[in-house]
Amino acid sequence: MSSLLSIKNLGVNFDTPRGSLEAVRGVDIEIPAGTSVGVVGESGSGKTVMCRAAMGLLQGSNVQRTGTVVFDGNELTAMTKEQVRNLFGSGMAMIFQDPMTALNPVRRIGSQLSEGLRVRLGMSKKDAMVRSKELLELVRIPNPTAVLKSFPYQLSGGMRQRVMIAIAIACNPKLLFADEPTTALDVTVQAQILQLLRELREDLKMSMVLVTHDLGVVAGNTDFVAVMYAGEVVEYAPTTKLFADMRMPYTEALLESIPKIDHKSGTRLSVIAGRLPNPTDRGVGCGFAPRCKYAQEKCHTQHPELQKDPDGHLYRCWFPIGKAL
Amino acid sequence: MRKFTKPTWLAIGWLSLMMFFAIFGWVLPFKSWNFVYEDDLEVGLFTNGHILGTDSNGYDLLASIVAGTRMSIFIAIAAVGLGGLIGSVLGITAAYVRGKVDTVMVTIFNVGLSVPNLVLALALVSVLATNVDINQAVPTWRRVMVLIMSLTIVLIPILGRIARGATLSWTGREFVTAARSMGMRDSKIITKHIVPNVLPALIAVAFLAVGVVIIAEASLSILGVGIPDGASWGGMIARGRNDLEYAPHVLYVPIFFLALTVISTNHLGDVVRAQLDSREAKV
Amino acid sequence: MAGSGTAHMRNSVDSVLTVRDLTVEFKISKDKVVKAVSGLSFDVVKGETLAVVGESGCGKTTLARAILQLPPPNSGEVIFNGTDLTSLPKENLRSARTSMQMIFQDPISSLDPRMTVQQLIDEPLEIWGRGTREERNERINTLLNNVGLEPELVLNRRSYEFSGGQCQRISIARALALDPRMLICDEPVSALDVSIQAQILNLLQDMKDRFGLTMIFISHDLAVVKAVSNRVMVMYLGKICEVATPDALYSKPAHHYTKALLDSVPIADPTRQRKTELLQGEPPSPMNPPSGCRFRTRCHAASVRCAEQEPQLQEVAPGQFVACHHPIV
Repeated sequence: MSSLLSIKNLGVNFDTPRGSLEAVRGVDIEIPAGTSVGVVGESGSGKTVMCRAAMGLLQGSNVQRTGTVVFDGNELTAMTKEQVRNLFGSGMAMIFQDPMTALNPVRRIGSQLSEGLRVRLGMSKKDAMVRSKELLELVRIPNPTAVLKSFPYQLSGGMRQRVMIAIAIACNPKLLFADEPTTALDVTVQAQILQLLRELREDLKMSMVLVTHDLGVVAGNTDFVAVMYAGEVVEYAPTTKLFADMRMPYTEALLESIPKIDHKSGTRLSVIAGRLPNPTDRGVGCGFAPRCKYAQEKCHTQHPELQKDPDGHLYRCWFPIGKAL
Repeated sequence: MRKFTKPTWLAIGWLSLMMFFAIFGWVLPFKSWNFVYEDDLEVGLFTNGHILGTDSNGYDLLASIVAGTRMSIFIAIAAVGLGGLIGSVLGITAAYVRGKVDTVMVTIFNVGLSVPNLVLALALVSVLATNVDINQAVPTWRRVMVLIMSLTIVLIPILGRIARGATLSWTGREFVTAARSMGMRDSKIITKHIVPNVLPALIAVAFLAVGVVIIAEASLSILGVGIPDGASWGGMIARGRNDLEYAPHVLYVPIFFLALTVISTNHLGDVVRAQLDSREAKV
Repeated sequence: MAGSGTAHMRNSVDSVLTVRDLTVEFKISKDKVVKAVSGLSFDVVKGETLAVVGESGCGKTTLARAILQLPPPNSGEVIFNGTDLTSLPKENLRSARTSMQMIFQDPISSLDPRMTVQQLIDEPLEIWGRGTREERNERINTLLNNVGLEPELVLNRRSYEFSGGQCQRISIARALALDPRMLICDEPVSALDVSIQAQILNLLQDMKDRFGLTMIFISHDLAVVKAVSNRVMVMYLGKICEVATPDALYSKPAHHYTKALLDSVPIADPTRQRKTELLQGEPPSPMNPPSGCRFRTRCHAASVRCAEQEPQLQEVAPGQFVACHHPIV
């Protein structure tokens, strides 16, 4: 399987009044064509920054990006902003966590939807409106004609998210970045949206990068998972393999600490001690060492490199779980 | 006080100088500001002991400027202080209590805002601080009072709205609900929780308002309804209007002081607001 | 779905909170009224943790605020410690409230950013004059230690210097300052990172055990609720659907909405993904709730009766009550 998106050694640094903030360091990810890859992490893991950096969406004089990003044969990191922008829509597209801020509150849905079609595909106003209606039907919005004339504030969170998905798939992109698309939604709406994304991916032959903090979402919606912690990828494997045979103590601890619906009630939750890492102060050694119950001397002093199993399972640990020392 | 840039230090320096003049000006060994130096009419800078020269009537410019500073700054601070105080009390109360009180207050504010400011000031001054017999001058202090009053009235709705808006955003926060749930009285919640959080926004605007009022007072003085006899910057500009062709320095001096002061207050207002925004961003 | 009915009430002497027929409505304009909570009744027994579960718009947060009378409900009784809070005069209400404290969803905005931790926790003590300054300081230190924070490290800092988890700990310390009988937690861990949630949930459990607290735990996260509660109440559009113990509710939900809710929760195991049909559509507007059972517009088991008659809570299994004409058996 060739890679649709290849990220090599991506690093992102922000200059802040408090010093240099290393949000992302040394990230290597391959997104094979036709797959869905989950990126799991908590605050400070760098998952959102990484996606924006990969798409070239990070702006500002205080941002430094290093490394290479190759999309569909195009080296994004070597292209100008204009050239990268041309790839948006039909190449890459993104949906965000909060549809309210991602949609323009003073424009009607129809106008926002058709804009991309007119600008990117050169459609006439009339054709664009017809296609917009089709798109709304594609994302299963009831009563599309009424919705086309509505403003974002008149729609519910779930509907707005569907509209955002419609805008994103309007030009049939090859790759969809979904940055916490369901975090702000109710659980029943989340299930609907995730099902919609699954169906769209199949119908449109679209690949997806799904960024989330929810291991449950990842388990049911991805083929591969990358786990991020403290700005790095610490584990990467096919989803089934990750859950069945994980290597990183962090992944294990995370899975153990989340409350599960099929656990016995009233059980005390297993806890990961300590706090999340501070991006301004990365320190030496493994980022998770201060909180890891298996940590040894080496973990605190030497930064672990990414290791690779023969089957492609990547992990960043001196003493991975399940491997003989 | 984290790093201030050079412009900020300059602004602070200039305003400190102005405040110094305002407070201590009358004891400084400058020439008298309303004494007519008949021998030195329209002299340029640094002539005959007149550091900034004199105007066509013989008034020493430096002395005039120092005296003018006192007046202009006093009026500005008084108007902004009073207007801010009354406006914020009204605005904060309205936003906290909500309901009919709020609706009434907003209406009052809107009415106030819709009246053209200078026209209002003109009207008030004409009615309250001008004698029917134009030959009889009105005591300066009366003019000053009326001026301050009219500027205060103009400022109340402006600052009141800002106070109200800030209060609305803070009362929505959960720590106010938490305070209520621990049994705190409303009055105490306002003084301990709302006011300290609203104050920085008001201070930032107050700086800008001071600049605006200084210009407003100058405008009124040029129009003749401000401070008579050149006792303020605007008054000096009014007085020196005719000298523009032959002795332009007479006008440049007050204009320069006016401009620098307003630029300084605006800049400091921006600095305060920026500090505020960075603090807000963390919350 | 019921005007609840009261079949699930236990009328026990140990009842810390009894709510009867609570109604909260917001008037948006002349003819538009949001019926946030409609005629709800329930009780909470000493030492119990009642979880209130539902999605956005179901009225659970409104319910919590109404219990605290912030603002007071339109009608109904809220009997706490034997007194009806709705009928108390303002002064008495102020002091009655101290027995019932609340933890909020957004940890950072529930703390005044201008105050230090010392001032934040001292505030309730100072309002009610609980001791001299030294005695109060000692109490503050104890409270901070209880919640796992080191006093010397936090006393002089402000909320924006802390992480979400730490802020929540500070909120808990403050809430416990007045020795409340009951704690209402409104989505206390929803805004926290996953690996921190467990810490705070365990902390709440510890505090509850140690100080004999009674808790109402509001959440939309069913998995979280299962871990901490003794009794679960599921709400939809201002009404109660089902009340049961967690084990019963999760293994054998009787209400169709409860089942749909459970079926929507993502499972963190790729080999055990569900293939059940998902709940479609969106909740109707609370300004215009459906007649009879409010869930009927999305329920595949809905019948004519569901539109005409509002179901009341009835016991379908020991300790399990459901408001449905055709409960799942």
